[in-house]
Amino acid sequence: MNLLLLYLLLLKASVTSFSGLGSLPMVRNDFVVERQVLTDHQLNMAVVAGRTGPGPNGLYLVCVAYAAGGFPGAVLGFLALVTPAFLVIPLMRWLGKRADIPRVRSAIRGLLLASAGLLLSSSVPLTLDAFTGIFSAVLMTASFAVLTFTRIDSAWLMLGAAAAGLATLMFH
Amino acid sequence: MGMLGRELVDTRRWISSEKFDLAFALARVTPGTNIIAFCAAIGALICGLTGAVAAVVALTAPSAVLAVLIVQGFESWQGNRIAMAAIAGTVAAVAGMMWSTIWTILRPHVGGLTRNLQVVLIAGGGFLASWKFHVTPLPIIAAGTLIGFLWKDGERP
Repeated sequence: MNLLLLYLLLLKASVTSFSGLGSLPMVRNDFVVERQVLTDHQLNMAVVAGRTGPGPNGLYLVCVAYAAGGFPGAVLGFLALVTPAFLVIPLMRWLGKRADIPRVRSAIRGLLLASAGLLLSSSVPLTLDAFTGIFSAVLMTASFAVLTFTRIDSAWLMLGAAAAGLATLMFH
Repeated sequence: MGMLGRELVDTRRWISSEKFDLAFALARVTPGTNIIAFCAAIGALICGLTGAVAAVVALTAPSAVLAVLIVQGFESWQGNRIAMAAIAGTVAAVAGMMWSTIWTILRPHVGGLTRNLQVVLIAGGGFLASWKFHVTPLPIIAAGTLIGFLWKDGERP
């Protein structure tokens, strides 16, 4: 895959999201649906890799970039991940004075809600890909509950899920 | 963020709690991953652009290297039954994590007829437009922002 295109696609996904996994709909649309560079399974694996280690949630972009473009891709994925963060510097000067304007807050709220709808649309096929039977459904539900209602770090959740996956081998 | 607050505001007194709060608030409306923007803001407040770059690199580079190593591990374990069982467990957990993320985004916006209506129309509309009609994300995000801008009655009283 062309590396400049890879960087621009990931930058677009990163710039148009407001949370770590918020870029997932754009990434899935560009890499799985439109260009078919990755499968849903590979995208799932990239998200898993990004969440297994420590660090920010958006790290999965680096894993997506590595899967699509090798090491040079990973470097560009890293740059696409961190580039939007520097927008906060001019934003501190400009929006710092306007953050309390109701219409600005309301526009940001609309943006967040649209992002949630998009994330919902991306989560359905990825969930179907991850579903392999009752056991995976139980793990999904438990993962949802743990992350929503407790403050347990997601890295511990990943380790627990891996251990649960290993435990299933004992029953086969 | 709590740990950074204690270290930078209380212990070292490198920035005031007001500036720390401003960085936190603006990081939430900065595109991309909030925590990276937060560290860039804190770094910029302390040492300017150099501080921002140093903070972002320190936060992300080691984790990014580790994440790539994990992907490589996944690739080389493809034929290993034990490793694949562990990976299948984590993939299922990630699916649950996505639903948790959706709930975390939506939860602060739920409550009151108008706010609930906005959630249903903007988030539900975004979902339908993408899922059913295959509209690409950018127009959906633009539409959501525009609707939010024009329909500002959704503020929590």
